[in-house]
Amino acid sequence: MQHLDHDRLVFLALGESEAANGESTHLDTCAHCRAELATLQRVAGIGTETQGLSDLPEPPESIWQGIAAQVAAAQASPAPAETRRPQVPGQVDGATADSVSATADSVSGPAVRRLDPARRSRRGRGWSRWAATAVIAAAAAVIGVVGTIAVLRPGDPAPAPTQVVVASAPLAAYGSTPPAAKGDARIFQDGQLHLHVANLPRVPGYYEVWLIDPTTMTMFSVGTLGGGPDALLPLPPNVDLKSYSVVDVSAEQYDNNTRHSGDSLLRGSLTG
Amino acid sequence: MTALRPESDPPVDALDLRFRAGDDVALREAYDRYGRAVLHLATSMLANRSDAEDVTQATFVAAWLGRDTFDPAKGSLIGWLLGIGRRKVIDRMRASARETRVVETVRQLPEPARTDPDPDRVVDRLVIADELARLPDDQRHMLELAFYDDLTHQQIATVTGVPLGTVKSHIRRGMASLKRRWEVDGAAPGPRPAGISGAR
Repeated sequence: MQHLDHDRLVFLALGESEAANGESTHLDTCAHCRAELATLQRVAGIGTETQGLSDLPEPPESIWQGIAAQVAAAQASPAPAETRRPQVPGQVDGATADSVSATADSVSGPAVRRLDPARRSRRGRGWSRWAATAVIAAAAAVIGVVGTIAVLRPGDPAPAPTQVVVASAPLAAYGSTPPAAKGDARIFQDGQLHLHVANLPRVPGYYEVWLIDPTTMTMFSVGTLGGGPDALLPLPPNVDLKSYSVVDVSAEQYDNNTRHSGDSLLRGSLTG
Repeated sequence: MTALRPESDPPVDALDLRFRAGDDVALREAYDRYGRAVLHLATSMLANRSDAEDVTQATFVAAWLGRDTFDPAKGSLIGWLLGIGRRKVIDRMRASARETRVVETVRQLPEPARTDPDPDRVVDRLVIADELARLPDDQRHMLELAFYDDLTHQQIATVTGVPLGTVKSHIRRGMASLKRRWEVDGAAPGPRPAGISGAR
């Protein structure tokens, strides 16, 4: 059976011309050409909806800062004991979902990347070369980050000197804050505080991060949280984390008052 | 099928390979190139802007940490990123739907009518837009006139001063590339029901 010309199918799909008599007859009987035409019509339909998508606005830099901080934090923390359900979907036939080792949600440490031998052989020589590269890269990654962390700074994706987490604190909703609000604080050895927050209530002003000494209730401001869920804040050198052991996130107004508003949203105690 | 798909597989983008190999700067490059598409997907689906930014962030973090499951031979990096983003968007929508239901049960309000767009459709558009951007200028220009301005091939020839035969050939090649790309990277590609009779 003579299939319809591909040009004809494209033009039919674009509504450029009507199917001639013989073509209609063929389409009635040929599932292959019918499916091909349907696919082309679908693609053309999607095409008409793409206007403006080549010119999307740039995402805010705060998202990148969050990515960099979270990747750094993920590589810093030890692998959790339990194995989480893979959250990264496999491609097309799902055969690639075999070696998920970490996701954003299960912030796990470095794992030796396993390469499926079946995939290797299917891919032939190109894949073998490629796999060798990946194995070397994975090995290098494991050597580089066991027990330590490559801190990614915003705008500086090259690994900085490695760091260990010296203390951490889960942050929970404080006072009348909705209980869904939560967060995590980690202190890196280089004196930076990594903060990750979620579900903070909207406030008219901004969020500020504090370290509090629970015995004396003295405190100092560490910095403010931007729009994103993550922040990397430098701590003053020689800060005494044994005394200033409470991490606090407050809601502040633009009121020209640098003191704590008294409106704490999250709190947690550092351990480690 | 092969008779209608004479073109060989599209070349794999170098960034895709570097991302898979864990190249230090590949994550930032991928974000610079595809962050906007992932954010667009998230903002199209999620009413809350900060949820959308969260999902975008989580998508890139998950992709980077799970990059050993990315197979450049099976699809593009942007297609893979959008696949992760789509999953995370859907998870977030389900979570907020659960919260909404709880609140509504309390208030005894009826379920609101859902007017959300289809995430698969948004992914398809972003994939096709990405492929359009990669086409040679002539092909892209002709397809844009056909898609956005709904011009016939004859009208395109008149507007552009390009001979009709050339217009047709640009459009045919461009469409073949879009179709191939969609079959690889689209949200729900694969065999379509054969009964669609749009040809009459």
